[in-house]
Amino acid sequence: MKRKFDHSAPASSGLTGPKYWRSLDELADTPGFREHLAREFPEGASSMEGVDRRQFMRLMAASFALGGLGLAGCRRPESHILPYGKSVEYTVPGLPLYFATAMPLRKSAIPLLAETHQGRPTKLEGNPTYAPHGGASSLLAQASVLDLYDPERATAHSKAGATLSNGQVYDILAGINKTYAGNGEGLAFLADESASPTRARLLAKLKATFPRAIWAEYEPVQDEPPVAAAQAAFGKNVKPVYRFAKAKRIVSLDADFFHAEAGALYYAREFAKGRRVTKKEDEMNRLYVAESGFSLTGSMADHRLRIASNHMLALAAALANKVLATETYAPLTQGLDFPNKNQWVEKCAEDLLEHRGESLVVAGAHQPVQVHVLAYAINAKLGNIGKTIDFVAVDAPSASTITALATAIKGGSVKTLIVLGGNPAYNTPADLDFGALLKSVPEVIRYGYYNDETSALAGTHIAATHYLESWGDARTVDGTIVPVQPMILPLFNGLTEVELLARLAGEENPDAYAQVFTTIGRLTSGDTKKAFEKFLHDGLLEGSAYPVADVALGNPAFDFSKVPAAAALSKDNLEVRFATDHKMDDGRFANNGWLQECPDPMTKIAWDNAILVSPRLAKELGIVPHGSLLQVARKEEAEFVQGKENAYVYDLTINGRTVRGPVHIQPGLSNYTVVLPLGYGRKISGHIGTGTGFDAYAVRTSDGMGFATGAKLTPTGLRTKLANTQEHWSMEGRDIVREANYDEFKDNPKFVAGIGMESHSPAVLGADKGKPLAFVASTTPRGNSLYETPNFDGVHQWGMSIDLNTCIGCNACIIACQAENNIPIVGKDQVLRGREMQWIRLDRYYSDGQADAAAFGAEGNKILPEDPQVSMQPMTCQHCELAPCETVCPVNATVHDEEGINVMAYNRCIGTRYCANNCPYKVRRFNFFDFNKRATDALYMGPLGHQSDMPELIKLVKNPDVTVRMRGVMEKCTYCVQRVQQAKIAQKRSAGASGNVEIPDGTVKTACQQVCPVEAIVFGNVKDEASAVSRAKAQDRDYAVLGYLNIRPRTTYLGKLRNPNPHMPDYAALPLSRVEYNQKNGHTEHGAAPGGHESGQHEAEHGGQG
Amino acid sequence: MSNIFPKSANALPLQIVIFLLVLGGVAAAGITYYATPAYLRVGYQPVQPVPFDHSLHAGQLGMDCRYCHAAVEKSGTSSLPAAQTCMNCHSIIKPASPLLEVVRESFKTGDPVPWVKIHQTPDYVYFNHSVHVNRGVSCVECHGKVNEMTTVYHAKPHSMSWCLDCHRNPAQRIRNPEDVFNLDSLTLAEQGKLEKAKGFVHDWKLNPPQSCSGCHR
Repeated sequence: MKRKFDHSAPASSGLTGPKYWRSLDELADTPGFREHLAREFPEGASSMEGVDRRQFMRLMAASFALGGLGLAGCRRPESHILPYGKSVEYTVPGLPLYFATAMPLRKSAIPLLAETHQGRPTKLEGNPTYAPHGGASSLLAQASVLDLYDPERATAHSKAGATLSNGQVYDILAGINKTYAGNGEGLAFLADESASPTRARLLAKLKATFPRAIWAEYEPVQDEPPVAAAQAAFGKNVKPVYRFAKAKRIVSLDADFFHAEAGALYYAREFAKGRRVTKKEDEMNRLYVAESGFSLTGSMADHRLRIASNHMLALAAALANKVLATETYAPLTQGLDFPNKNQWVEKCAEDLLEHRGESLVVAGAHQPVQVHVLAYAINAKLGNIGKTIDFVAVDAPSASTITALATAIKGGSVKTLIVLGGNPAYNTPADLDFGALLKSVPEVIRYGYYNDETSALAGTHIAATHYLESWGDARTVDGTIVPVQPMILPLFNGLTEVELLARLAGEENPDAYAQVFTTIGRLTSGDTKKAFEKFLHDGLLEGSAYPVADVALGNPAFDFSKVPAAAALSKDNLEVRFATDHKMDDGRFANNGWLQECPDPMTKIAWDNAILVSPRLAKELGIVPHGSLLQVARKEEAEFVQGKENAYVYDLTINGRTVRGPVHIQPGLSNYTVVLPLGYGRKISGHIGTGTGFDAYAVRTSDGMGFATGAKLTPTGLRTKLANTQEHWSMEGRDIVREANYDEFKDNPKFVAGIGMESHSPAVLGADKGKPLAFVASTTPRGNSLYETPNFDGVHQWGMSIDLNTCIGCNACIIACQAENNIPIVGKDQVLRGREMQWIRLDRYYSDGQADAAAFGAEGNKILPEDPQVSMQPMTCQHCELAPCETVCPVNATVHDEEGINVMAYNRCIGTRYCANNCPYKVRRFNFFDFNKRATDALYMGPLGHQSDMPELIKLVKNPDVTVRMRGVMEKCTYCVQRVQQAKIAQKRSAGASGNVEIPDGTVKTACQQVCPVEAIVFGNVKDEASAVSRAKAQDRDYAVLGYLNIRPRTTYLGKLRNPNPHMPDYAALPLSRVEYNQKNGHTEHGAAPGGHESGQHEAEHGGQG
Repeated sequence: MSNIFPKSANALPLQIVIFLLVLGGVAAAGITYYATPAYLRVGYQPVQPVPFDHSLHAGQLGMDCRYCHAAVEKSGTSSLPAAQTCMNCHSIIKPASPLLEVVRESFKTGDPVPWVKIHQTPDYVYFNHSVHVNRGVSCVECHGKVNEMTTVYHAKPHSMSWCLDCHRNPAQRIRNPEDVFNLDSLTLAEQGKLEKAKGFVHDWKLNPPQSCSGCHR
């Protein structure tokens, strides 16, 4: 049977296997690759162009003949194994390496660990050495690895359309240095903000070389409180760092410290520490939020006040009056008007005063200086400084502003402008008309990662490196210096910022590594090399945080005379709030498909932004939608046509500038505030980013960067479709998210047991009810089913617990899962069809306590809520022990393994989609197309119409440990089975004769768990009673969603708690979702009494039914 | 009117049925035998860019597998040696051999030697070498007696059922851990020590996975 195949010796041209970074830059220069890039998103179906029918037949005939003669089709395709020429240090083929690096973002970087596979970064994790983040990271950090492999990034330096070599760029930079050295008159820089010590050092050098040059910095979104406020209050250059974990009472004045503020990751984590309750004795913080939009922070509020951003100063003044027991600020409170105003402010202030030193007032970074000064004064009075808020010394801002630069350009004094990063042609204030100014400068050199709006106006574009290709350094929010280490050589010969600045400063052949080494060397003592190696290894420089400054409130009677009074808002005088987008940030992530496709955490709209209006304004505009179904008296947030949100398009006009966009009704907005998320409407981006949403910068002027008044909405008569992934906003009185107030929880920690169908239906576990979880999980619950469930006799039994009380709904888990599990994007068109692929869905429910029991089958919300409560719930495969998906699969493609994971065997799946139909949680995703191989705009092309394989560059981001799924295959959350298996293998490898094959608790972390900033997700072995997940599930608040179906999900949730103040005017004795639940289920008699719905009562009442 | 069909035609339906059954049987037998990895894969012996002789290196010279396949105990892949590993010896032994030109070139330029892959699992199969060789499964179980092969060929079928044969009954195929890299050693069962093998499986808690997630992720 032995056959010998005479393969010809491999020709060198046939050996273009994956060579990764070593040769990608060479590869980038080959014509084939260029064509590949160009063809990735073909403009039209050019499938058979140039091949006529005759030629086609001839070709086909020839290939059939060949096939028949040589049986070429039966030959085994030859593949190669390509080992290194020389071994690479530390690299073991097949094993990942982890390096510390950091993602710089404005002045606060996120320390990361990058997972690299043979020199190719595929996944980023938070660096656990940096204690404030504890190994967590954000959705932006998770998605940033995709930018590295973006085929549409700037792949070459260029000048007036011609490509420049690195050498030519060096000459240009040296030329600038030569021209302006010693003077700098006529030279200007415009850079984005950075806290990099190396950049600061090089900047000092630049200033010495070009003493008269202008160095301006501009960031379109402000994420740190203005230093001017601290100057005014304390007379020092300091900035606040909040210690949320120590704060028991928190007041936010328009501050979205879970997302929009610098250090949001740290703050969210600290907040969760004060929020987490594991037993009834635990204390829980209370959050008051006053805001105009509806932020994630607002969604966690125990008391949420909708007022215009414009009125925030008046509210701060009113609060300051009460806390400081003065009337100094009374004039400022004019115009403040909301129901029960005096009581709200008074009781809130009382609550703060009862928690001196344990309270915290935070003002949003976009708010004017005066609001911050008042917040500082309140904090000082409450004795919070040094306890819940530290002021750290920072450098005085020395850079010029964009306005000053614009003035200089207008004056004609700028001859050469160097734009470092940013995208001023797109995101600078509209009144500056910076695009025109750029054109008027004789020489503009743009250093940027993308060829964007600014590059189009600049004569010279220098391609920047990604931070994963660069040497550099950065500072976290508390000032800790962290390294930015390259994981890979620059894919496209980009230049690092450090090298660029060093060259401009006149250094010849600067080495970015050496530059960073020098900087760190100056900050450390002793053996510099050792210190630097430790710096790189740990991923941070110990003790480098900003020093905490001693501050004392100087003169609280700050000059408030120039402050305009709170404006009276109406339909014709709207307030516009410019919001940092959750995904696009300021627009820099526009070409990132993962982020574009991730639904906004509040609106649930993907691939677009929208003009967000309050329900009241919508009513006045006449666009309140009807219920989507005739027989159900419920109201949707928007009008849906065949499941697609059909939004009205409106023109928004403010100060003579107009922007056009779709209107989306957002419950919970201040009545006459419209929210415009920034970062969309890019005109020159890639195929992903161009043309999504509208550009809110077009109406944003330098006197109203955070918010502005005087806007008006006018209808255009047009409609547009928005890719909204959650059509319905209400739970309709069902028990999906179970909530209680903290006071009720203290009386009745097992409140979740009294909610839901389980108390009505027979005991779901039958004879096993009440047995310990470890026993239940390892017993096969066969019942009378014909379907044979495997024995759960594995060493481990995997399970997950999600704490809804700390989940802030930030969406980081969605992107982390996408990065870990090779989940493709599908494009707006497919999202409109409901075919999004993310394995985790973050459900957002509003409740207003207005479910109408009498209407239509005892469900229905007849009005859109203005003041809703929000409940967030991450929903993914629950790994039911008696999984409904398994019984309907005709080919056993989805089955259980012996450790309780509901597994998908992709190669068995034939795509009947029965499993998705039978899944009660709707968490299965189907590959309707070859989403991995095809670009989102080429899905409907024929077999010849598109590339047959994934672009080489995109392949590099894929996790080699996870199968890339093909068309026609079902997929879903696997509990990161690849991580589980690797941990098991590692344990087995080291176990040897000891026979200890059980993985220690905490070894395996799922991607979602690892990224979660609030540690809401716990995964582990439920068979081990001491494991973290067993302890979480042993809590009283543990419940299974749809538990009454007796499918025994392995993922369970911990009920959500709210902590309202009984003295507040908007106090609700029960969470509003519970009120709806009671209304629907005929328990209204409990609704009125505080903490009334007790499980004892409930069970007694229904005892006879079971 | 004469009969169109002769009388013998009465047997035709039965004959057709029998013919079809036989045809089906032959086809089924053919596919069962030929369309399997045991037929299609076993014996695959491509020409390698360098005529590396395992029977010389691993057989006559007695070199340990792990000298070249260094990652096999740590990683999922066994790893092929870098050209540098070859040059450890071949910078002294036969330094000018024309057969080694490819290796010397690779060492010099860093371009890999294009070894032709023989044992190839599908993309959706995640076989892990380390967990096997650390727990009593010898190289020879899957790769055959490579130490006797002049040119390496595919010796075992590597089909899923073949994997499962062993996963369902590991005691039959395991060796003493110290014999794992000794390709001439016998399994414990072949040595007549089946009881010892069973004890080994029990004490080490071998328990190889038989569910999908063991290999498919």
